[in-house]
Amino acid sequence: MNNGHTHVLLIEDNPGDADLVRLRLVEGDSTVDVSCVNRLADGLASMAKEPPSVVLLDLNLPDSHGADTYREVLEKAPGVPVVILSGQDDEALAMKAIHQGVQDYLVKGDITSNHLERAMRYAIERQALTRSLEISRHQQLEFKNQFLSHVSHELRTPLTCIYQFVTILLDGLAGDINPEQRWHLSTVLESVHQLRAMIRDLLEATRAESGKIRIEPRFVLVDDVVRQAASMMAPTAKEKHVRLEVGLGTRIPFVYADPERVLQVLINLIDNAIKFTPGEGSVMVKACIVDADPNMAYISVADTGCGIAPEAKALIFERLYQDPNSVDNKRSGLGLGLFIAKELVELHGGRIWVASEIGSGSTFSFTLPLYSLAKLLFPVITYAGQLREAITLVRIELTPLPNSHGSNWKDICQQSLDTLRRCVFLDKDLVLPVSGNIGISTIFLVAASTDLERAEIMMKRIREQLGVGAGFKAAGILTVSARAVPLPSTNGKQLEDLVQAVADGVTEMAAEALATKPFQKARVQM
Amino acid sequence: MDKPKILIVDDDPDLRRALTIRLRASHYDTVQASDGYSAIAVAQKEQPNLIILDLGLPAGDGFVVLERLRGNDALSSIPVIVLTARDPQSNEHKTLQAGALAFFQKPVDNSDLLDMIRTAMPNAWSAAAALPS
Repeated sequence: MNNGHTHVLLIEDNPGDADLVRLRLVEGDSTVDVSCVNRLADGLASMAKEPPSVVLLDLNLPDSHGADTYREVLEKAPGVPVVILSGQDDEALAMKAIHQGVQDYLVKGDITSNHLERAMRYAIERQALTRSLEISRHQQLEFKNQFLSHVSHELRTPLTCIYQFVTILLDGLAGDINPEQRWHLSTVLESVHQLRAMIRDLLEATRAESGKIRIEPRFVLVDDVVRQAASMMAPTAKEKHVRLEVGLGTRIPFVYADPERVLQVLINLIDNAIKFTPGEGSVMVKACIVDADPNMAYISVADTGCGIAPEAKALIFERLYQDPNSVDNKRSGLGLGLFIAKELVELHGGRIWVASEIGSGSTFSFTLPLYSLAKLLFPVITYAGQLREAITLVRIELTPLPNSHGSNWKDICQQSLDTLRRCVFLDKDLVLPVSGNIGISTIFLVAASTDLERAEIMMKRIREQLGVGAGFKAAGILTVSARAVPLPSTNGKQLEDLVQAVADGVTEMAAEALATKPFQKARVQM
Repeated sequence: MDKPKILIVDDDPDLRRALTIRLRASHYDTVQASDGYSAIAVAQKEQPNLIILDLGLPAGDGFVVLERLRGNDALSSIPVIVLTARDPQSNEHKTLQAGALAFFQKPVDNSDLLDMIRTAMPNAWSAAAALPS
């Protein structure tokens, strides 16, 4: 009720009903004005132009019926209170409408002047209350985020000091220490690491809650990430005398994911698994493709630990959940790790779950979407319904010079990629959405619909254009090499199958190219 | 040949003291500054081979220091490692764009920091490595 004036939008197609409502509202009350439209589309247009104080809505209109009518209004004009004026006394529909955000449901035959006017007033009031609650909830969330961000920043400074001086003592930089002192100091150092992890999780969970976690997905080999996680966790497993094993399926295509984040999820799961597995037990990390769900990679971490009670299974991914029966109550952490893991997996479009039996261990599994290289390659490697005669994979390696400090290597690589995309013939060649690193070098790959000999021309162009662009010359070394992609025999096979076979070949070669030195054939160095 | 010299810029005197002990144990010479203004003054006077820079500083924060270093011909080629309690998500890219070589969030593992220092000064390190440990 702006300035005590109520602007009512009545959406009603029955002229008799409309007149009646108008009469009841305006009669004797100069602070109410009513505009009436008889189609939903006109009502929405009017609301978009000038939001009314309240909408009185008939559900059965020429262009919309039933629940769809109010849903459309709620969606297009959130924040405007809606009162349904219905010809039907349908309690189930009324409850549904109220749950979905409608303020009131009145039956036309029962309405008196007073009744309608009051219902409208209360609807406006309730809507305003809901809105202010939402605003305050949002402000509180924002405040909490800022507070946690501030706290975690402030905690890091003294923590850094503790870490520095403990390691100075442990490393003997302040004189010799005896074995007992070393033992005590090692305990301090362990606690420092735990505190650091907690501070990190606190901030991460806060971000997850407010949808501020960022992921940078790219094309990643699951095997690599699994191996990396396993090798990072090997010392922890060894210390606890837990066997940490890796089992990888024959060939897993690329997944579309943020490698850092996948690593984070894996480390979290493996760390938990080791924590809850007694000495001499084992932890197995596996990755595979499941026939029933060929578009996802399945990754699992199985332990031979104490297992999880059925009632805990449903809660284990909740924020701040701690298993009260956990064997390691001494240092249980914040209970944020699995919550963060779940958020990260779901951000990638995957899901995470646990299978477990008390006493015989738990298996945490998650999925990540695969990317179909065949789909991308299809237009590149086919022509007039056939496979092209020759396909070449070109490998471009950028290595930063050791003294290139001050330059921004990440930016140079991004600019180089942009340049590269312009260097190739867009309709015939494909810069693979696979980029990786070998040590400090960044690798790009191009699938070109040409033979090795003609690929030379492309390689020359790449060398020239990348060499001059992006301030690259001063900052890095460029190596370009190429190799022919073996083509499958075509006897009686569908084009789709052939393309898939080439894509598999390219995937294998790409995996190799990302793991090894430049292709030997046709190697050109700047 | 002189030991490579590292300038530690941080407003926390305890951390400066700790880093000094740590770096000297790895055969680096160290000098210190506690704010943005003196960071530039000390850099000009001492001509360090590398700078370890905090972001939250009085008298000109880390970004101001980076900008001044880059704008000064005599100092623009000194590699800078940013070491801050601030959040990498909102600061790492910015500091690298401002010309820093690397970004570490506190607390950083000693080995990570020392590795980066070695990477940043490959020639200086070979000289220092020749010293008896």
